[in-house]
Amino acid sequence: MAIAERIAVGQELPPLEKEPSQRRIDVYSGVRPRSIHTDPAWAEAKGFRAPLAQGMMSTAYASEMMIRLLGPGFLKGGTLSMAFLKPVYAGDRLTVRGRIQATHPEGPTTRVTVEIWIQNQHGVQTAAGTATGLLPT
Amino acid sequence: MTEFPTLTYEILTVGEEFVSDTHLVTPEDIEAYAYAVEDDHPWYAGPSPFGGPVAHPTLMANQALHLRHGKYIVHAGLHAKMHFEFLEPVRPGMRVRSRGRVIDKYVRRGRQYMVTEYVTEDEHGTALVRGQFTQMLIPEGTRHGDR
Repeated sequence: MAIAERIAVGQELPPLEKEPSQRRIDVYSGVRPRSIHTDPAWAEAKGFRAPLAQGMMSTAYASEMMIRLLGPGFLKGGTLSMAFLKPVYAGDRLTVRGRIQATHPEGPTTRVTVEIWIQNQHGVQTAAGTATGLLPT
Repeated sequence: MTEFPTLTYEILTVGEEFVSDTHLVTPEDIEAYAYAVEDDHPWYAGPSPFGGPVAHPTLMANQALHLRHGKYIVHAGLHAKMHFEFLEPVRPGMRVRSRGRVIDKYVRRGRQYMVTEYVTEDEHGTALVRGQFTQMLIPEGTRHGDR
């Protein structure tokens, strides 16, 4: 089925499950001392119970959801805006959710707007935002 | 020789500019990123609608986020907001760099923030990603977290 036929406002997208382990955070951020992402003692000194995943990792998760939906129309012509609401700690289990919010004509194609939010294993929202991309022509 | 003062809210100036060094995007960068974010889409290692492999669209975001580290010692900070516009795919073999400019700083609920707009370009000056991010500054000697 063509992508355009699979798009309906209000439709929820298949969720993604993510587990940002310390090892994955280390690879993402680069291990260094005096980092709240990779130095447990420094994170503790800054008032966090464990090292934090970079907020930017959540934008990668949201991007994955959009590429699964729109493919090249997100890689070229996509936008993403996110706010980081609560810390994500090493070892948290995240669920990335999305819902199609709107579609608008744009030139020969259609821009699709998706509301995206991320929750941790306690049901707490850690990030939220909006992404857009173009339907393939 | 570059000197690196410690970044403080007071020293930061709206309008000041940053530029990164140039980075060669390698297949290994993309593979490591795929591991870190648990996303090994086949376009990142093989053919894609753009002809060859492409990188995750957010691959170079840390180059932009770390712009201020090229000028200051950054004690600690938290990322509050991020906006991206993906203009062209980043591809392995590109030499990319990011340029940024501080467009705002403000204090809200006793916390200090800086706002930076940026662009990441290839070696020909083609804009690949534009964006804007808001970072919270955690002053030296203070704690921020939840305990």
